[in-house]
Amino acid sequence: MPLDLFIQQLVNALSLGGIYALLALGLAVVFSIIRLINFAHGEIMTVGGYGVFFSLLLGWPIPAAIIVGVSMSIIAAVAMERLAFRAMKGASVVSLLITSFAISEILKVLFQNGISARPKPIALPSELSGSYEVGGIVIGVIPTLSIAITLISLTVLTAFLRRTTTGLAMRAAAEDFDMVRLLGVRAGGVVAAAFALSGLLAGIAAVIWTAQRGSVDPLMGFFPVLKAFIATVLGGLGSLSGAVLGGFVVGAIEVFSQAFLPESLSPYRDAIVLGSVILILLVRPEGLIPPARVDRS
Amino acid sequence: MNQAENAFLEAESRRAEAVAQTLLLVALVVGITVALSLIMGRAGERIATQLCISIAAIVSLAVFSGNSGIVSFGHAAFMGLGAYLSGILTMPAAIQGSALPNLPAFLADYELGLFASLAVVALFGAAVALLIGLPIARLNGASATIATLGILIIVHSVLVGTRDITRGSQTFFGVPRVTTLEVALGAAIVFICLARLYRESRYGLMLRAVRDNEPAAVAMGIEPRRARLIAWVASGALATVAGALYGHMLGAFSPRDFYFALTFSMVAMLVVGGMLTVSGAVVGVIVVTLLQDSVRQIEGGFALGPIEVPQIFGLTTATLGIVILLVIWLRPRGLLGYREASLPFLERLAAQAMSRLGSLVPLGRGRASVETDADLDHSRDGVSIKGLTKHFKGLTAVDEASFSVPAGKVTGLIGPNGAGKSTIVNLMTGQLPASAGAVRLGSVDLLDLPAYRIAHLGVARTFQNNRLFEDLTVYENVLVPALAIGASRQEAAQLVAHELNALDLLDVAHDRAGSLPYGARKRLEIARCLALRPILLVLDEPAAGMNPEETADLAERLARLGHEHGYATLLIDHDLGFVNRLSSSIVVVNRGRVIAIGTPEQIQTNPDVIEAYIGTGRARSEEPEPVPLSPSITLTAKGETP
Repeated sequence: MPLDLFIQQLVNALSLGGIYALLALGLAVVFSIIRLINFAHGEIMTVGGYGVFFSLLLGWPIPAAIIVGVSMSIIAAVAMERLAFRAMKGASVVSLLITSFAISEILKVLFQNGISARPKPIALPSELSGSYEVGGIVIGVIPTLSIAITLISLTVLTAFLRRTTTGLAMRAAAEDFDMVRLLGVRAGGVVAAAFALSGLLAGIAAVIWTAQRGSVDPLMGFFPVLKAFIATVLGGLGSLSGAVLGGFVVGAIEVFSQAFLPESLSPYRDAIVLGSVILILLVRPEGLIPPARVDRS
Repeated sequence: MNQAENAFLEAESRRAEAVAQTLLLVALVVGITVALSLIMGRAGERIATQLCISIAAIVSLAVFSGNSGIVSFGHAAFMGLGAYLSGILTMPAAIQGSALPNLPAFLADYELGLFASLAVVALFGAAVALLIGLPIARLNGASATIATLGILIIVHSVLVGTRDITRGSQTFFGVPRVTTLEVALGAAIVFICLARLYRESRYGLMLRAVRDNEPAAVAMGIEPRRARLIAWVASGALATVAGALYGHMLGAFSPRDFYFALTFSMVAMLVVGGMLTVSGAVVGVIVVTLLQDSVRQIEGGFALGPIEVPQIFGLTTATLGIVILLVIWLRPRGLLGYREASLPFLERLAAQAMSRLGSLVPLGRGRASVETDADLDHSRDGVSIKGLTKHFKGLTAVDEASFSVPAGKVTGLIGPNGAGKSTIVNLMTGQLPASAGAVRLGSVDLLDLPAYRIAHLGVARTFQNNRLFEDLTVYENVLVPALAIGASRQEAAQLVAHELNALDLLDVAHDRAGSLPYGARKRLEIARCLALRPILLVLDEPAAGMNPEETADLAERLARLGHEHGYATLLIDHDLGFVNRLSSSIVVVNRGRVIAIGTPEQIQTNPDVIEAYIGTGRARSEEPEPVPLSPSITLTAKGETP
């Protein structure tokens, strides 16, 4: 394999994997605390995409559009927790899952009727869509920015989870929510913070995804989040570091299988990606980095 | 009335109940089908056909999801596989030549009839399900659900990708429309009966036990992976057949018809009625189908008096979403809850009919007798534990523990909180892997075996915090272990009746275990253990939370049962009066080590024991006084407040 091609694909893998990692981490933060597999996470991301779209439509500058997009994702996530999941305290994993599934479907219908079923193009300034050359290797500006933004977000988030009280409470809750409650941490606060965090991550993913695709549509978040689900299971459902690793692995398998497998196999791209993940799970059913969890007998 | 008769009647009435419930469902489906065709004519027949096919599909899904508690998003994929395969197998050669010119030769020109094709489809579905099921059965609930989502996407992309066989994302046409209303209705009825048979079978019951409480199910001798895999394969094969019938109803379809939209409406149907029962699945299909059809009427826009309501894209989906939310918020277990729909008079009717047929149909044809391990003849000596050790990260929870639990006697295991008592139990019964040591039952070292095998050898345990199969009846809770160790239906029925009687639970036999009061829950756990025909019974705090009268009653029962069955008992409790009263010898552990073994009298005066419980000051006194251990006093470790 020629080195320059490999490096280009590596950049693509990191930028796609980064998006999956952000989404998977958001899913994992929520799952680890209230055991919700949030199907509507994709719609939280879509809301962010529309936030960017409408801001640009109003002629606002790009930084403002980004801030609006990310904020709308956070608001959507927190509102979802408030309106749908807070009342379901103690519900089973299945009930929570199905609720989020229903919400996801309803939101998609709302987007289709309220905005448009078709993709809405987003005009980006030309300097963003260009590319640059390093040692003879051509690399896109947007993938580079994506990787940078992903890495900065993950670093800041790690610091937040390690250094702040809320972060510590969330990490503790991920391992043993009951104990955290007994220790007097406000449970509602931790859950709301988890949703806000997942919204923030989905919002960042939305901004990057929108920039890469150049358009927004009602299903924008749905399909990447499906991959992110798979990533969380691959990493070890409920494990935060596992989710990030799983995201990058899924992204890498997807990009490299597309780049280096024969053309005739390209319709099977998703089958190959997911099939490989399931094969890995056959060997490691607990995931790559199994979550630490307290189970009292 | 004697025990055997009692058991027979109980099992008979359970069968009559199941038959009556199945009849009710069949009558409901037939009734709705007839009503739709009579009232609405051709349109009604079309709706009824669709309804019956959906029932077949959802009942297939419920075989796995209802009994395992794991929602599957992959069943639409099975349906798609069935529809395409059956379409290819039944397609007239002339149409096949033009529609699928590049079809590989091994698939071409079969022109099978519907039923021959369905048989092939069922086998294919089972094979695919087995292949997919091997990794999925290893995953825990939530991960398994997501993995089934992966299956859906994989199959979809394969259907789109294999253009020579499926025409890719283009419409696949030329499939004979042979799913008539009669065929569909027949399929719905057959599927309902199969699902009920599976649900009441030993595998169905065992899987429902796993669903309700996996660790307890394992401790009762069930291997969860195997139970899940059996259901998955059966359910996958059924769904593939249902999909084939669906394909023969549509006549033309594309991979999109077997993707998220179908998955969503399948999940809606499953959840609205309640996924715990077959009745729930059927009722869910009826409610959702009728709702979908009504909403579809107005989806394309309509006039509401003077107001023109425009076309609303996806109104059906949104309505379904809202219905799901309402059902989950208001009735989390679905419209029907955890009970199969039933009518008392039908049950009486079925019971009468069956008592007439009773002499013709013998009750249950299980294996001849409970499997016996030749090695177990040595187990009359009880169980001996040698050098049992468990390290957790940096902590040695159990340190070289050695003691024996002789047959026919009660051995007490006491120690302050955190001494390692429950860890010892979890090691002995295989819930936790040991770091070192041996637990010998006859010539077998239990530490070499997985937990469910240990149960098969006759090691039964209760759990400190009471792990019942909450959504099963009291009767079923005790039936599960009896069946898990391979008893025939008849033997199991007798065993269950006997143990329920011994623990005073006959009156509540048909109640849901989750609805029992505390004392009865504790007794049910013991009854469940006895149905394993234990050689060793491990009781982890059986008297915790009981008042003195209940404790005394329990002590009396345990003494009597132990005498009757002759098993070895290992008894853990904080109520030392209770332990003293029952035990012939007591093992004391502290900080993972065995610090004393002796008769209750010896233990009460042992200075090390007193030190462990009370603290050094007291133990150093010249003459160690016996610690007053009355039933009402529970000793706690030093530094703790009782």
